[in-house]
Amino acid sequence: MTSGTAQRRVAGAAGLARRAERPPRRRGRWHPYLFIGPSLFGVVAFLLLPMVIVIVLSLFDWELLSAPEFAGLDNYRRLIGDGETWHSLGVTVGYVLLSIPLQTVLALALALLLDRKITGMRFYRALFVVPWMATPIVLALIWSWIFDPRDGAINSALAMIGITGPDWLSDPAWALPAVALVSVWQYTGYNMLFFLAGLQGIPKELHDAAAIDGATSAQRFWRVTLPLLNPTMFFVMVTNMIGAFQVFDTVYAMTAGGPSRSTEVLNFRIFETAFKQFDFGYAATLSTLLFVIIFLVTVAQVRFFGKRTTYDLS
Amino acid sequence: MTPITARIRRALLYAVLVAGAFISVFPYLLVLLTAFKTQAQLSSTAPWLPGLPPTTDNLATMLSGDFPRFILNTAIMTAVLTAGQLVFTTFAAYAFARLRFRGRDVLFWLFVATMMVPSAVTMIPLFLIMRELDLVNTWYGLLIPYVLGTPYGIFLMRQFFKTLPAGLEEAARIDGAGPLTILLRVLLPLCRPALGTLAIITIISSWNSFLWPLIITSGDETKVITVAIATLKDGIGVDYHLMMAGSLIALAPMVVIFIFFQKYIVRSVVLTGLK
Repeated sequence: MTSGTAQRRVAGAAGLARRAERPPRRRGRWHPYLFIGPSLFGVVAFLLLPMVIVIVLSLFDWELLSAPEFAGLDNYRRLIGDGETWHSLGVTVGYVLLSIPLQTVLALALALLLDRKITGMRFYRALFVVPWMATPIVLALIWSWIFDPRDGAINSALAMIGITGPDWLSDPAWALPAVALVSVWQYTGYNMLFFLAGLQGIPKELHDAAAIDGATSAQRFWRVTLPLLNPTMFFVMVTNMIGAFQVFDTVYAMTAGGPSRSTEVLNFRIFETAFKQFDFGYAATLSTLLFVIIFLVTVAQVRFFGKRTTYDLS
Repeated sequence: MTPITARIRRALLYAVLVAGAFISVFPYLLVLLTAFKTQAQLSSTAPWLPGLPPTTDNLATMLSGDFPRFILNTAIMTAVLTAGQLVFTTFAAYAFARLRFRGRDVLFWLFVATMMVPSAVTMIPLFLIMRELDLVNTWYGLLIPYVLGTPYGIFLMRQFFKTLPAGLEEAARIDGAGPLTILLRVLLPLCRPALGTLAIITIISSWNSFLWPLIITSGDETKVITVAIATLKDGIGVDYHLMMAGSLIALAPMVVIFIFFQKYIVRSVVLTGLK
């Protein structure tokens, strides 16, 4: 900033003669609005307006072909007594609990392992990120094949050591863990990248000082590394959770919500309600529910992590 | 620490790394192996062994159908969305990072807040808006909601613009250059790494997008590869050799892009400013 002002002063003196010839122009007054205009339109028309529409629509009874009818809070009354939706919410929470802790802890462990001088470090790092770019729909097919009860890779391997594997995707007890495992496989490596960047931002002196004071490596992890990783942990948790609560693609193509609704996550139920049953009013109510849940979970994380962290978003 | 325990630790470390790398690559390997097997080899060989002799029949079958067209559709969608993201996001991020104007901070926080709006929630109203505009099952309907860029992209680019030295624009400004000239001539040439990162993220997420194309399109004219793959099961039953051939075709472009540009993905992490 200071050097910029100094530069301007020096250059300004040189340009004084030139500037005097022309009246000062108020350049760039409208430029910023022109520059953000298209993006602002996009945000308002395709993110904020839809939010408003969803909430308004949740107060209507509308099956697309007939005219929408105002229904007040009827949809919400229906929601309270709708056991299938609460079941879907339970499945969604189950999916989050099966995937997020595992893919976060594994990612952190891998990052701690890789945070040192290793030959071939870049190579391993690249390989660990390979799962992240895979198309979820394609992954669903691949993992259906891996989980195939007869010829699939997992049960073939288990058969070699004399174990008969379960039917995985057609077994109500195993289907949800199997779908969650795909998420763990896909996002662990990508999360690791964030933790690795976070770890490399922690000054080495802090570890040295703690070591001199006699802290064991476990103490150093809990007292130095983990607290200083708070911003990274916050980012990884928030983005992963927002994604996991909306899981759709893998469920759609691996199990279609089955067997016997054991993988029917909320987003899948919203899709079915809107585009299979054309019950748009109630689907909007379910969307509102999903939004409120994601919002509350995010706020809870902001408060939990915010206590110990300051952010620089300026 | 004695040298021997150090050596054991090192061996252990590499064992974990190799195991992790194997697990990361294994499903891709499986696609490659299965795509070249015949139906008979599918059950007669172990999934992790190649079928000998390999056959290209599966790929030929998939490529002789509508698949090439769906790949082309996906490529068009990806190209348009990526171009839109790069252009509109750059302008907005530049304004937020380097220009002063009334309402700037409020607007920026509005953008950041919308990063939290789940796409699952906007899906139904977006469909209804497109239906009202008579754009269901058209290219416009498919592209319009996402062509103006994403709040995340703006956030990423703004972080990058902020890292550029403050005095950069001064000389150009004194020479009478306006904000547009400064952006295009002075700042943009320095933005290549950030633009590369944003491009690869957008390419991958566009190529992989599924729910919106599934909802908004129904005909073959606009069908993208993810929707085609999802309906594969209905068409051919559980023929994994054909499914894996289709998967191979769908994954190949992304794998190639990843191999060439993976350093940009690593950079995206650094760009979010989490250190």
